[in-house]
Amino acid sequence: MITFKRDKKEEEDGGGNPFQNLEKTTVLQEARTFNNTPVNPRKCAHILTKILYLLNQGEQLGTTEATEAFFAMTKLFQSRDVILRRLVYLGIKELSSLAEDVIIVTSSLTKDMTGKEDLYRAAAIRALCTITDSSMLAAIERYMKQAIIDRSPAVSSAALVSSLHLTSVSSDVARRWANEAQEALNCDNVMVQYHALGVLYQARKADKHAVIKLVAKLMRTSPKSPYAACMLIRMAYKLLDEVDEGEELIGFIESCLRHKSEMVVYEAAHALVNLGRSGAREIGPAISVLQLFCGSPKPALRFAAVRTLNKVAMSHPAAVTACNLDLENLITDSNRSIATLAITTLLKTGAESSVDR
Amino acid sequence: MAILDNDGNRILAKYYDKNVFPTSKEQKTFEKNLFSKTHRANAEIIMLDGLTCVYRSSVDLFFYVMGSSHENELILMSVLNCLYDSVTSILRRNVEKRTVLDSLDIVMLAMDEICDGGIILDADATSVVQRVALRTDDIPLGEQTVAQVLQSAKEQLKWSLLK
Repeated sequence: MITFKRDKKEEEDGGGNPFQNLEKTTVLQEARTFNNTPVNPRKCAHILTKILYLLNQGEQLGTTEATEAFFAMTKLFQSRDVILRRLVYLGIKELSSLAEDVIIVTSSLTKDMTGKEDLYRAAAIRALCTITDSSMLAAIERYMKQAIIDRSPAVSSAALVSSLHLTSVSSDVARRWANEAQEALNCDNVMVQYHALGVLYQARKADKHAVIKLVAKLMRTSPKSPYAACMLIRMAYKLLDEVDEGEELIGFIESCLRHKSEMVVYEAAHALVNLGRSGAREIGPAISVLQLFCGSPKPALRFAAVRTLNKVAMSHPAAVTACNLDLENLITDSNRSIATLAITTLLKTGAESSVDR
Repeated sequence: MAILDNDGNRILAKYYDKNVFPTSKEQKTFEKNLFSKTHRANAEIIMLDGLTCVYRSSVDLFFYVMGSSHENELILMSVLNCLYDSVTSILRRNVEKRTVLDSLDIVMLAMDEICDGGIILDADATSVVQRVALRTDDIPLGEQTVAQVLQSAKEQLKWSLLK
């Protein structure tokens, strides 16, 4: 069956990589097909894929070329083919920085983002926000606020992430949409929770007291999303540098050492050992966790642990000594980065006995 | 985020930070370098040019996710797993260069769903696939050619037999 498939493919493509010998000019010429009515979804999707592939390979398009391709692409909005539409969104995003007058698709995208199909809406929001400039922002604001509190996680996440990107267009976007983000924070979806926290932090990061309030509130409920939890740990860690009273914050980070996600546990351990002020007592539990990770079957986890220990060994060599045996095991690790880190760490903890071995 | 083939050539790559490798030439040099350091050692993680890179391979493909050296390695790993699992599920388990190229459009859409401008958009492969793999189900029969119908029927039969 596989050989049969191959043969057929090779007949179609002339063998090898169908995208290998694409010529920019030829492909752009082909893009004129987009102007034909009715639209042939399969053919157009294939041509659009070729354009996207060329851009991805690093091919440079001039402003005129890009603008022409962009305008041809806008004709594809006539088709209702799902894949083609999604590729058009992708094309809009890729060409938005190269072509001129890209705001021409604003109304088409606004229509899609308020339409019925969730799959369109999320992607349309993201495409729309890449072409939005400060003058257009007011026009889409109402839709964005609605999208943030949408019941579909995809739509809500798309709107939240887009508002983070829009900060570069207008710095107070996040603040203006903070109420909606606050509501999205209660969402059950792990990604929405994470993105909402990102927007809220963006909105308040200039105001230390607002951040303290936000962190304090979340510490009590402890977010379910591991990504949000990692972010909260980072926020708490940063606050510790700025405030004098940090018992609660440290307590929270320590409690994260018992989180069920390894990602969060590592983030917490990493934060604890890097705290400038902490003494051997505070980093003790974190070191034990890292020691445990040294024996993990996952290379990424061993790497993360030994890299962190390597850094701690500079400031608290005595605390790391407890891990010497585990580190010695890692000297022969199949991952050379891990082995190297283990050796340098051992050199810093300075136990002569292990150096001899 | 990048997918390279077994010669270290780029199949798809996306750079989210304009300050790191701003030109395509620098990107490709980095990719070559990364590939030469990783294609033999099956080690999952490496530090290169101040970046933490996690990777895994399948047949003739290499999947990479890169991040700042301050980034939590396990978060990068979760993105890599999501990328790999999504591609696996989109390609119905035949993860190799040819199948990726055959479904390049869908793979591009999947990468777009995983990361938006450097922010993790979704790290759950099932939901990523749900958002992109709409091929056979969504196209009315009338719009498919006879060959496509046969092809999809064959695929379905094949997988029902293999299950």
